[in-house]
Amino acid sequence: MTTMPMSLTGRARLRAATLLGDAAAVASRVAGKGTGASIRGQVLTRLAPSSFDDLLAGKRVAAVSGTNGKTTTNHLLAAAIRASLGAAGARRVVTNADGGNLHQGIVSALAKARSADIAVLECDERVIPDLIRAAQPEVLVFLNFSRDQLDRNHEIKFLARSWREALAAAGDRGPVIVANANDPLVVWSAGTAKQAIWVDTGARWTADAALCPACGTVLDWSDGPLGRPAWDCPGCELTQPAADYTVAGDDVTLPTGRVVTPSLQVPGAFNRSNAACALAAAIAFGVSLGDALKGLATVKAPAGRFAEAQFGATTARLMLAKNPAGWAEMLPLAGADPVVLAIDSALADGEDVSWLWDVEYEQLAGRRVTCTGPRAADLAVRLAYAGVDHDVIPDVFAALAAHPGHVDVMSTYTPFQDLLLKAGLR
Amino acid sequence: MSVTSGPVEIVLVYQSLLGIYGDQGNAVVLRQRLRWRGIDAVVTRVEPGDAVPATGSVYLLGGGEDAAQVSAVRYLTEDGGLFRAMDAGAVLFAVCAGYQITGRTFTVGDHDEVIAGLGLLDVETRRGPVRAVGEILSHWTRPDGSESLVTGFENHGGYTYLGASATPLGHVEIGLGNNGDGTEGAVQGHVVGTYPHGPVLARNPELADYVLELALGRSLEPLPNAEIDRLRTERLDWVRRLPPRAAATCA
Repeated sequence: MTTMPMSLTGRARLRAATLLGDAAAVASRVAGKGTGASIRGQVLTRLAPSSFDDLLAGKRVAAVSGTNGKTTTNHLLAAAIRASLGAAGARRVVTNADGGNLHQGIVSALAKARSADIAVLECDERVIPDLIRAAQPEVLVFLNFSRDQLDRNHEIKFLARSWREALAAAGDRGPVIVANANDPLVVWSAGTAKQAIWVDTGARWTADAALCPACGTVLDWSDGPLGRPAWDCPGCELTQPAADYTVAGDDVTLPTGRVVTPSLQVPGAFNRSNAACALAAAIAFGVSLGDALKGLATVKAPAGRFAEAQFGATTARLMLAKNPAGWAEMLPLAGADPVVLAIDSALADGEDVSWLWDVEYEQLAGRRVTCTGPRAADLAVRLAYAGVDHDVIPDVFAALAAHPGHVDVMSTYTPFQDLLLKAGLR
Repeated sequence: MSVTSGPVEIVLVYQSLLGIYGDQGNAVVLRQRLRWRGIDAVVTRVEPGDAVPATGSVYLLGGGEDAAQVSAVRYLTEDGGLFRAMDAGAVLFAVCAGYQITGRTFTVGDHDEVIAGLGLLDVETRRGPVRAVGEILSHWTRPDGSESLVTGFENHGGYTYLGASATPLGHVEIGLGNNGDGTEGAVQGHVVGTYPHGPVLARNPELADYVLELALGRSLEPLPNAEIDRLRTERLDWVRRLPPRAAATCA
């Protein structure tokens, strides 16, 4: 920092930092280390510390956060907003499509599309307070909170509290929140927003919602609308809010009572829920229903999720599952036999893999399962106790080569990125 | 525990409160290790509001957050089933937050509010200066003096201090353990408390069998398993190659 001449204005500094960041990104790409997005962001935030604020200034902003589904929902939302802009959509909307959702990743994406006047951003849960402060987003989507990387995030509630405080501080200038009504922690986190639009997603993961986030009382879960579990706190006012949008099967009921059936290329019930949240957010952002539905239908393999990739004689469908809630959604979708499971415990995966025992791998019994990745041995013991036949091939690409034909590969974050890189998908 | 004719009952207590670190795996491990030996075994899950059965042979508590600890103590105390089971000779195996609530007192929240625990173990827990997060390796000494290595992953902000009636479960080679004094866990009669996740009984089958032997009142034949051996070798090699944790934190 001290080497930069003091006469440089903030704008010039940002421009210089952008050029240097681009150069670093090119160098990184040439060296075969990935897209260079990460190094670009690092250079930018180092040389121009206010770049996050500066690059967001003057833009209309919509954003997505939560433990699971951020990347897909953000792709869906960006597609819906682009569809409303016609031919100008590609130029006017900037998004961190690669899933780089910390400050550096967001800055990197914004710097590459300076002329865009709309930013649609996926944000790590930790970035949300800063985004609310710096960007005055119009719409924020809060998807869910569940256990993830507990070696770093010790109390899930801590993040929810930081959202609550940021929304309270923003007051009337704050965003409209589109939030999952089925998740008590999400509902509590949005409780200080000026306006919330509630989506009954029918979400099934309730294992992290035993206690009321407001008062600590054990929540009641009883049958609610559509015979699905609904929650209520017997100790205070917090209760599952009445839904504005409701997901049931393939259908979404809108606030008007009209029922639509979004046409989607991404699979699974949880992606139906993600799409409903994206739809609600797009409409809150001013997109027409018709344009939003048209946009949602175009999203196929967001940041490589569910992409089919060829590795020698093996055709692999790439599936990302990072935590117990994610695995609970993903395992039923892995229909192929054999199935390859890749587990790592690098920084981005979480160092502690005890969570393997909160995943019901028992449902794979009867299938051929190959354990791979740096923590394959942990998974092998888990599967042995689950009564699931398996073999262990620690190298991910060797594991794929052992199964010519079609396989489903479910990975934690780091092996998933390695697979994308090898397949030329990032 | 007197010999009964039915299946051995393993009671997993309040998974919704004390189940965020995969410690329910300890129940799966205990049940399977009995079944693999031809001994009938079942896992009973109880949640707040359910009556805790007094018929179990082993009761399991796992890791959780502060507010969940307070609720768990309240429900277990009101219910009383766990105490009746302990009087009847059952074994309690408690991990992390579960270990802390088994003691006499522990603290929660930003203001270190002191909460009375279940009082089944002569230990007290207070918030420590640094949260202990990382792989841990300790040496566990059995009552007969023989020793085994215990591998796991610790993740706790509370530091636990043992009273005169409790004996350390093991001695720390790598990691923090109870409070940095070199001890890990506590044993007192049929109550065993320990910090590591992993789950700890999945990574340490000898400790799992010790818990079962304590509950059944008889010895069990070994169950060789190459996959578990391989996992243990891998974890031991890994933790012993790691830089010291304090230095790693500064980097």
